[in-house]
Amino acid sequence: MAISDSLGAVIKAFPQTRVVAFADLSSRMILASQGRDDVTQEFLDQLCQQARTSFDDPLFSLSVEAFGEPHSALVIGPDGVRVFLRSENEPADALCCVCDHSIDLPGFVAKIRETLDKISAGA
Amino acid sequence: MNKAALPIFARLHALQTVARVAPGGSRVIATLSDASPLAALLCEVNETVLGRTLAFESSVGASLTLEVSGRRVLRVVAASGLPDAESCLAAAALEDEHKDDLIKLMQAVAPPRHELRVLATPMTRDVDGVSVGLPVALLADLLLINLNPLEGDLPAGPSTPRPAPDVVARPTPRPVTYQPGDDRPVTAPPRLSARLGVGAAAKPEPEAETPATDQEEGAGTDVQGAGSFLITLSRGIGADLMAWLIVGGESDGATDGPEEMVSHLQGFLADEGEALAAQFDQLSTEAGKDMCIVLGASLDTGHSILCARSGPGVLLGVIEGDATQTVLRAWVSAGAAQG
Repeated sequence: MAISDSLGAVIKAFPQTRVVAFADLSSRMILASQGRDDVTQEFLDQLCQQARTSFDDPLFSLSVEAFGEPHSALVIGPDGVRVFLRSENEPADALCCVCDHSIDLPGFVAKIRETLDKISAGA
Repeated sequence: MNKAALPIFARLHALQTVARVAPGGSRVIATLSDASPLAALLCEVNETVLGRTLAFESSVGASLTLEVSGRRVLRVVAASGLPDAESCLAAAALEDEHKDDLIKLMQAVAPPRHELRVLATPMTRDVDGVSVGLPVALLADLLLINLNPLEGDLPAGPSTPRPAPDVVARPTPRPVTYQPGDDRPVTAPPRLSARLGVGAAAKPEPEAETPATDQEEGAGTDVQGAGSFLITLSRGIGADLMAWLIVGGESDGATDGPEEMVSHLQGFLADEGEALAAQFDQLSTEAGKDMCIVLGASLDTGHSILCARSGPGVLLGVIEGDATQTVLRAWVSAGAAQG
């Protein structure tokens, strides 16, 4: 399945998803995305930077010291929910998502983890 | 110049230089004309946040392979042509006791006026459970190397593959100040998990659990300011929030959970309060609005760190179990309760 199809399947399964993007965190680039029409390149660049910030100090250090390296981050604000997942096998690979508060978060996280694993594995 | 911008300018400066690729896909990070390949080596570690295996190879014929993550050297994987590498190689995770040996290895693989190459590859093993390793800021401090080469004056021009950080001779230790995003040496080993009394798969002691009824009724012995957004959020998450405290705002000082865990969270906020505020600011899409960050290995199993900001108040806590089930629901409820 093409990466755009994989990301599109997430949108289809969870319509509360505004955007889902596949990023290379090491190069700070969004490589593919699917979502609503009003998503701009500037927004995607900002989203990628936010993913990097989520996995940075000082909370990164706290998590590493306490429980090991974090691969998942959730950022909740008044404007919605941002979910960032990093691949465990390819740490630079990440999915960056923005959703409405009404999203079924447990199901959504399971879905995007499965999607990320497939993309990183080249499936 | 804003000091926070210095690392950005340094990186931009580095990106403007011509990349020199060596056979095998490695990059040349120091040339024969460089006085301090060692500084270039430390810069490479300093720029590695996500887990990577960095293989350094010198024109003297020596090589040193390190596992690096979060700007820390976690482990020495291999060493060739370097004396006295045994102790570091034998360590499953580098600790403070290894720092002198590691520095000697780094100095040996990166002698002045020799070309140094690096090959970065994804880490092949799971680093969960590995302790923090040695922060590059600590190594740089011990080696008197300034990782911010542009502090003070801009360099004359891109004559080297990357900006060569200054090697500064300091007769006495200087007070260290950290900018947001800088690495900070760990101040209180051992691992926080031990200090918090939990492990990656540990279950809370029965007496460590916070009775749900206490939270629901606001009857926790230390809970104050029962009406604030952060208090409402903590109650909404319930017993899964196994230890927490609030610093600042109308609920300043409110805590619940095992005293030892709360104490360590308090210490973290005291040490990292400013850096944490900067992290919130960078993630904020609307200045001054409430925000909550949850960071974990998987969010739905094990433990996660919860940190929320509302006005001047910060809630920091540890969640056990499925954070995806509780935090968003509690957030929406707390928002509705606040109107």
